[in-house]
Amino acid sequence: MRGTLLYIGQRLVLIAVTTVLVSSIVFLLLHQIPGNAFLNETRQTPQALAAELHRYGLDLPLQSQYVNWVQGVLHGNLGESLVNRQVKITPLLVRETSVSATVGFFALLVTVGLGLLLGVVAALRQNTWIDYLASSTAVVGYSIPSFVIAIFGLLVFGHYLYLWTQGTFYYVPGWGKLEQIPVPALALGLPYASYVARLTRASMLETIRTDYVRTAWAKGLKARVVVVRHALRNALIPVVTILGPLITGIITGSVVIENIFGIPGLGKEFVTSILARDYNIVIGVFTFYAALVGLANLTVDVIYPILDPRIRY
Amino acid sequence: MQDLKVQFFVSGGTVNAVDGVSFEIDRGEIVGIVGESGSGKTMTALSLLRLIPEPGRITNGRILYGEKDVAQMTDEEIREFRGNEIAMIFQDPMTSLNPVLRIGFQVEEAMIAHQRFSNKQAKERVVPMLQRVRIPAAKDRVRDYPHQFSGGMRQRAMIAMGVSNEPSLLIADEPTTALDVTVQASIIELIRDLSRELRASVILITHNMALVASLCNRVIVMYAGRIVEQGPTRAIFKNPQHPYTWSLLRSMPRVDEKEKERLISIKGLPPDLGKMPPGCKFHPRCKFRVDRCFTEEPPLDEVDPGQRARCWVLMKNIANPEAQAQT
Ligand SMILES: Nc1ncnc2c1ncn2[C@@H]1O[C@H](COP(=O)(O)OP(=O)(O)O)[C@@H](O)[C@H]1O
Ligand code: SF4
Ligand SMILES: [Mg+2]
Repeated sequence: MRGTLLYIGQRLVLIAVTTVLVSSIVFLLLHQIPGNAFLNETRQTPQALAAELHRYGLDLPLQSQYVNWVQGVLHGNLGESLVNRQVKITPLLVRETSVSATVGFFALLVTVGLGLLLGVVAALRQNTWIDYLASSTAVVGYSIPSFVIAIFGLLVFGHYLYLWTQGTFYYVPGWGKLEQIPVPALALGLPYASYVARLTRASMLETIRTDYVRTAWAKGLKARVVVVRHALRNALIPVVTILGPLITGIITGSVVIENIFGIPGLGKEFVTSILARDYNIVIGVFTFYAALVGLANLTVDVIYPILDPRIRY
Repeated sequence: MQDLKVQFFVSGGTVNAVDGVSFEIDRGEIVGIVGESGSGKTMTALSLLRLIPEPGRITNGRILYGEKDVAQMTDEEIREFRGNEIAMIFQDPMTSLNPVLRIGFQVEEAMIAHQRFSNKQAKERVVPMLQRVRIPAAKDRVRDYPHQFSGGMRQRAMIAMGVSNEPSLLIADEPTTALDVTVQASIIELIRDLSRELRASVILITHNMALVASLCNRVIVMYAGRIVEQGPTRAIFKNPQHPYTWSLLRSMPRVDEKEKERLISIKGLPPDLGKMPPGCKFHPRCKFRVDRCFTEEPPLDEVDPGQRARCWVLMKNIANPEAQAQT
C-alpha cells in the first residue's frame, strides 16, 4: 500500500514536469510565429497597440516572458485570453475540460463496453457466423475514421431521422442535454471499440484454452462463472494495457469530433483559439492535454495491479 | 468405461488419441495408468469428466458411473458431476491455478459450485481444507495468490480443491512430474492418505513405475491410445506379458540390480497417431515380433485371472527374453 502511494506520488511529479515541459515547448514555438492577436483589431494606433502589448507583458524580452509564463503554470495560472479581455484561461479550460470529459467518458464506455462484448461473443462462438459477423464488423469499424462516422451520424440524426427523433440527438445551439451525447460519443468511440474487440477476442481465445480454465470446468463451476471470472478476468489484462494509448486517442480524436458537433469542449476551444491567434489559450490547451494524458495513463497503471496481482509497485 | 474412443479432427486427418479403451474402477481402489507421453492417458482421464478439448471429441463408448452414462448427461448434470463425484488434479500446478484469484477463494468456489455445502460452510471449510493438505500457516496463506506459493504448495492447493467436495474418484494426472524431487514423495503420500480418509478411488497417471508398485492395486499400461496390458500390480510386476510392459519394467532402475548395462531402454519413438502402423501398434519397436504382428492387431485377451495383454506372443512364451532384447 505504501509502495503504491509512493509510486503514485512519483508519477504525479513526473506528470507535472512533463506538463511544464510541453507547455514550455509550445510557448517557445508559438513565439516564433510572426504576428499577434491584435493584428486584426480595427482603427489601431501604434500607441494603442503598444499599450495592449504592455498590458499582457508581450513587450518584455522573451526570457522574462518565459519565466513569467512558467511561474504562472506552476501556480496553475495560465494567464488571460488575448482576445476576450479579462477572461482567465484556467477556469475557462477547466469548464471546457469537464464538457470534453463527459463526452470522452461516454466514448470510453462505448469503446470498452461494445469492444468487450463483441470480442467475448466472437471468441466464445469462434468460427461460427456470429464470430465472422462480429469480427468483420470490428474490421469495418476500425477502418472508418471517426470523423466519417461523425458526419454519417449527423446525416442520419440531423437529416433523415430528424423529424422522427424530433431533433433530440442533433446538436442544437447550446450544449448540456444528455441526449446530445450518444451520437458524438459513438463517433468517437467506435473505431477504438473495434480495436478493443479484436484484442479481446484474441486474448479470450488464449485464456479459454489455459490450464486454469480447464481446472475451473473440472471443478464444476457454471459456464458463466468460468467465462467471466476465469477466462475474461485474465483476458482483460492485455486489454487494459492498451487503455492508456486508447484514452490518448480519444482525447486527440475529440478535437475533430467537438468541432463537427459544435461541442464547447477543450477541442473546440483549441481550434477557435488558433484561428484567433489567442496564443495564451493555445498554450493553455496544450498544457491541459499534457496533464490529461498523463493522468489517464496513471489511472490505467493504478488499475492494472488490481487486475493482475502479480504486478506490484 | 467401455470401448472409449477419442478422436481429434485436425486439418490433415483424424487422430485417434484413445481407441477402444475399457476398464473398471472399484470403490476405494487405486489404479495406475502408465505409458509414454502421447499414449492417451490424459485424454482417457479427461473423458471421464467430458473435458476433451477442441478439436477432440468422444466418438464412441460409454462411461458409466454407477448407473449413469457420463456421455449422455445434460450440461447441468455434467456440471454438478464434475468436481463433486470425480475430481481431477492436473500435471502442472504452475498453470492450473488461476493467477488472479486468491488461493482460498479458488478452494471456496469449488465447494460453492455444488450443493454439498452452504456458502457459509464453504467459507468456513477453506482453512481446514488447506490445513488438511498440510499447507503450513494455512490461516495466513488463504489470501495469497498462486504466484506467492511454491510448486509443491500449489499442488497441495489443487488437491485441497479436488477433495473439498469429498469426491468418490480422484484422478491425479502426473501430479508430481512438474515438481521438485524433494516434494514428490510428500505429495504422493498426501494423495494416498486423503483417498483413504475419504474412502475414494484414485486413478494415478504416472511415468514412475516405482510409484505404481508402491501405491496401486491395479495397473493399466497404455500404448498408442490403447490398453496393451492390465492387471493386478503384483502380477504385472512379476510376470509382465506384453513386451512393452516388460521393457518399461526393465528400463526401471532397481536397487537389487547389480550390472548397470542390464538396464534396457526402449528404442525408437511411439507411432504418430495420425499414421498408425498396421498390425500390432508396437511392432516397429518390438524385439519379439513374429510375422503375424505386422498385419493383424492382437486382441486384449486374458492371460491369467485378472490379467490381460494385447500380444500374439506373450512374454511367458519367450525362453530367454534378456538375451533376445540385447540383440
Ligand atoms: N489439441 C490436439 N490436437 C490434436 N491431437 C491432440 C491434441 N491433444 C492431444 N492430441 C493427441 O492425443 C494424444 C494423447 O494425448 P495425451 O492423452 O495428452 O497423452 P498422455 O497424457 O498419455 O501423454 C496425443 O498423442 C496427440 O496425438
Ligand atoms: S503382438 Fe507382436 S509386435 Fe506386438 S507386442 Fe506382441 S510380439 Fe510385439
Ligand atoms: Mg498427459
